[in-house]
Amino acid sequence: MVYRAPRWIIIVVGIIACLWVVPIIGIIATSFQTPESIARGWWHFSQNQLTLNAWKKVWSDYPLANSLWVSTKVTLLATVLTMLTAPAAAYVFHYLRFPLRRTSLIIIINAFVLPQQVVIIPLFRLWREMGMLDNIWAVIIPYVGLSYAWSVFLVKSFLEDFPNDLIEAARIDGCGPISTFTRVVLPNLISPIFACGILQFLWCWNSLLLPMLFLRNDVTLTVLLARISGTYDPNIDQQAVAAIVTAIVPLLVFLIFQRQFAVGNRVSSGGKE
Amino acid sequence: MNSGISGAAMTSAGAMAAGRKPRRQVSQPMAAFALLTPVVLLFGLSVIYPLFETIRISFWQIRGLGKPSYVGIDNYVRLFTDPTFLGTLWTTLIFTLGVTILSVSIGWFLAMLCAFAPKQTAVFRLMIFATFGISEAVAGYIWIGIFRPGESGLLNGMLIAVGLGDWSQAWLGSGTSALVALIVAASWSAVGLPLLLSFAAVQTIPRTVLEAAQMDGAKPLAVVWYIMMPLSTAGARVAIFINLLSALRAFDIIFVLTNGGPARATETVGFFMYRESMTQFNLGYGAAATIVLLVAVLIVAIPAIAQRTKGAK
Repeated sequence: MVYRAPRWIIIVVGIIACLWVVPIIGIIATSFQTPESIARGWWHFSQNQLTLNAWKKVWSDYPLANSLWVSTKVTLLATVLTMLTAPAAAYVFHYLRFPLRRTSLIIIINAFVLPQQVVIIPLFRLWREMGMLDNIWAVIIPYVGLSYAWSVFLVKSFLEDFPNDLIEAARIDGCGPISTFTRVVLPNLISPIFACGILQFLWCWNSLLLPMLFLRNDVTLTVLLARISGTYDPNIDQQAVAAIVTAIVPLLVFLIFQRQFAVGNRVSSGGKE
Repeated sequence: MNSGISGAAMTSAGAMAAGRKPRRQVSQPMAAFALLTPVVLLFGLSVIYPLFETIRISFWQIRGLGKPSYVGIDNYVRLFTDPTFLGTLWTTLIFTLGVTILSVSIGWFLAMLCAFAPKQTAVFRLMIFATFGISEAVAGYIWIGIFRPGESGLLNGMLIAVGLGDWSQAWLGSGTSALVALIVAASWSAVGLPLLLSFAAVQTIPRTVLEAAQMDGAKPLAVVWYIMMPLSTAGARVAIFINLLSALRAFDIIFVLTNGGPARATETVGFFMYRESMTQFNLGYGAAATIVLLVAVLIVAIPAIAQRTKGAK
């Protein structure tokens, strides 16, 4: 006998799921309506007219294209740097023996509890002294540095199941520690590296605090949205477009790679199957 | 190491047949140094240095670009006699517990309902889980639209539609309703993770157990209460921990949705430190508040830290 689910359960879950996306439908509808329609309420679909006005005007009224470029640049650089350096660190901690190894490993993997707020005062003063404010590296460096707490942990968890035979074989074949890493371990780490990349991409793209404080003229999408969403800006239709543009990229990445995301999340949260 | 001998012997024979000579090997500490340098530099610059520097600054009075002066524990004494900060602590507690309880209970309950029909509810789970990919900044913006005063806000619009127009108000205009609004908005995007983790945990319950319960005539809600809930606490525990930590550290959604207002009623400690240090330029005072936040986070995270430290081999 197979368990048969009562129909009402599916209906209840369906209704909740639909309620969950109402806010999202709201900003999509808002972006296609005139300011007068929005003032009446975006859900009065029968009376409201649709228009592409906001989608056309937003590019000249707000520096949206520039912010899209800044977000892309910052996020991609930070993601690639994490994907390149975190696996090397995980490999070193897992296979090599050197002084202070365990101590430094414990410090790095426990840094995940650190709130971002701890970083901002010292880095703000440091970047100001070095003239680095408004430089994209002022944001990329802490993005990458803060990511090690979970990215090194995630890749290292994956290495726990890595066959030792392969490492031994490489050593006897004359591979030193570095070529063992580049020729044997790295090619087998593709899936945890991608999991790290996806998590880092989402986190960097969606961050607000660091870019808001360390960038001034060329800001990321989240910062632009936070700036224009204040009550003093009347262009609600154009704000909605900016919100959609900000959300669409991580949402697509998320939907396309959700399977890897689930894998990465399970490992990084400490549960193992 | 022993387990590698047979495989190693085979491949080394292969290498000799191919006529390769063993190359000179780099020593392990040397290799470790070479591969770790970028990580150590970036981690040191963006975690270790700021951590110690924040602790140091919290004992100084630094106002903007002015000359710093050493004040000992004065900043901390001031914090705990400052009614605004004490109110902030209270707000942090309510916000953190509110978001965690609301998001985990909804996510966990949904996960158990979904477990009755995993295939048919896959799309619905994705719809809810997708909010997890939306940034707090966008989530905050989206919920501004819902709590907007007047009839253009969705919540007021709904109240008017069902004849409760008298209840419509400026939801973000009073302290209590703004805090509740903030908790609801933050929970909206925080439900995804408990749903994902609890669903994974419920899925590990053998189908036969559910079938046996159904044969015994157990109603779905009884199955949820007596079988699924006790057997999926592991997933929910992880979700509670992660959501507690992220609510405690929240900043983005508060900044966008309420900006700490009205009258600082929705400021948490994580927001207070931003306001003091980055808009009032009381860097030392802000740093002391940050350390209070850090201590709170550490207390919540003790079990996780112990687990990670034990597992670090």
